[in-house]
Amino acid sequence: MPPFIETRGLEHAYPLEDGGQVAALRGVDLAVERGEFVALVGPNGSGKSTLARHFNGLLMPTAGQVRVEGLLTSDDRNLWTVRQRVGMVFQNPDNQLVASTVEEDVAFGPENQALPPAEIRRRVDEALDAVGLAAYRTHPPQMLSGGQKQLVAIAGALATRPACIVFDEPTSMLDPPGRRQILETIRRLNAGEGITVVLITQSMDEAASARRVLVMDGGRIAMDGPPERVFEQREQLRALGLDLPQAAEIAHRLRSWGMSLPAGLLTMETLANALC
Amino acid sequence: MIRVEDLVHTYAPGTPLARTALRGVSLEIGPGERVGIVGPTGSGKSTLVQHLAGLLEPAAGRVGLDGVPAHARTVAARAQRRRVGLAFQYPEDQIFEQTVFREVAFGPRNLELDEPEVTDRVRWALEMVGLDPAAIERRVPFTLSGGEMRRVALAGILSLRPEVLILDEPTAGLDPRGRRELLARVLAWHEQTHATLILVSHNLDELARVVERVVVLAGGRVAADGPVRQVLSDGELLRAAGLDVPPAVALMQALWAAGWEVRTDRLLAEEAASEIARALGLLERNGRPRRSREEGRT
Repeated sequence: MPPFIETRGLEHAYPLEDGGQVAALRGVDLAVERGEFVALVGPNGSGKSTLARHFNGLLMPTAGQVRVEGLLTSDDRNLWTVRQRVGMVFQNPDNQLVASTVEEDVAFGPENQALPPAEIRRRVDEALDAVGLAAYRTHPPQMLSGGQKQLVAIAGALATRPACIVFDEPTSMLDPPGRRQILETIRRLNAGEGITVVLITQSMDEAASARRVLVMDGGRIAMDGPPERVFEQREQLRALGLDLPQAAEIAHRLRSWGMSLPAGLLTMETLANALC
Repeated sequence: MIRVEDLVHTYAPGTPLARTALRGVSLEIGPGERVGIVGPTGSGKSTLVQHLAGLLEPAAGRVGLDGVPAHARTVAARAQRRRVGLAFQYPEDQIFEQTVFREVAFGPRNLELDEPEVTDRVRWALEMVGLDPAAIERRVPFTLSGGEMRRVALAGILSLRPEVLILDEPTAGLDPRGRRELLARVLAWHEQTHATLILVSHNLDELARVVERVVVLAGGRVAADGPVRQVLSDGELLRAAGLDVPPAVALMQALWAAGWEVRTDRLLAEEAASEIARALGLLERNGRPRRSREEGRT
């Protein structure tokens, strides 16, 4: 079976007004398997969002190719299937809500798939249950908190039954409880429902909860590995302007003062356990 | 001096959609203070700062800038409002001029300053945010990176020489380096001008680095107002307000609960590391390591 998402020699250039081009991706070779939880990090302008938009055919390669379940995204005949398999959730929930009640908003995708009403109903109910918003089905989305609005957007993506959801900085506009709510939901969808997750984030603490971290720099993949490995490379990350997860930073400082601690301490819980 | 007394604000009053965002807020902010405002989504933070800038009219209560009602339609109130600069979230969305110079000059030109003064202010403001005027002032703003655009937008406010600067989530969407650099510039600006700085942020790490005092809003009321270290390490208070403690505080509290003799009010990773090292005797009283890593190995 081919990888779920596969890019080969993927390049992307955006046209400039003066007729020139600016390269956003400069040759990305990548395979994402079914059920993976991948975090995508990197400085502003490193190509994270551009790469993610190739995963469901929102952008077309300037060179190279992208396949989703073996289907080329550059072939128009595949686009419908590709977009059904890979859903997207963006940064600003206010820009993604389209209807006047929560359940109508979630029904938008399946309605566009021209499914029978009973099936739409089933999918909307399941999606709202999955994100814990069943009690809010008849609420107007604009009356919800930022975190809840983002959960509506996730439910909307889920209702189309995607195999994978790409999250583009879904928590950057939310307060800390909203962030935690979204991250817990993402983890549950991955671990419980087997949905493949690609999470773009500027928070290294969020990235640490993935099982694989991709670090992008200048349109290329600079690092690729489990978070325990990637976040050992403190100097390389700092050179890219990135931080360590806070627990890893504390562990690094304690080690530099002579303390011996196990490797791979990425959360405050594991650090506290290692210390006590 | 900013004085807010029993401030109430209701959106869409008298309609079925009426929503009260502020339910009697009182606080004072003195000249030169660095104050953070935190609270969950919907707690009234953005409504409050718009009142401080005189952009909204109170439904009840008062907002005074040196004793003048902030929203009043008087010459005195207009003069007071000019002393307040407010940067909304994603301020670069409001950039519209064709060059960086014209963008940053927009405010000073509106003040009808003469052109040499405008030029001085533009260059000073660009330097303040860490951009080289000569290299950037002729550029088209939309060709800049996200971090650069954010700084140009900020320069456009600093060029008005505000005595009160209000920043609403100034680092949202920036990468860790962009975040660090912007905050360093804001602190350097404060150091030079001794103006008042009001920072609205969800990022407790950022508040711990920048402000000395924190006001916590919850449900349109002031839930706490005090020194940053005291407020941000008070787990009970923060949870009751719908917020979390900073991760470093959570770690220190876990160690304390396990019987360690550590201070729990360590807000930043580096503070937590030093406190743990001290408790373990890894550091001397002066903060120097007892032995370096290399020595430890021999």
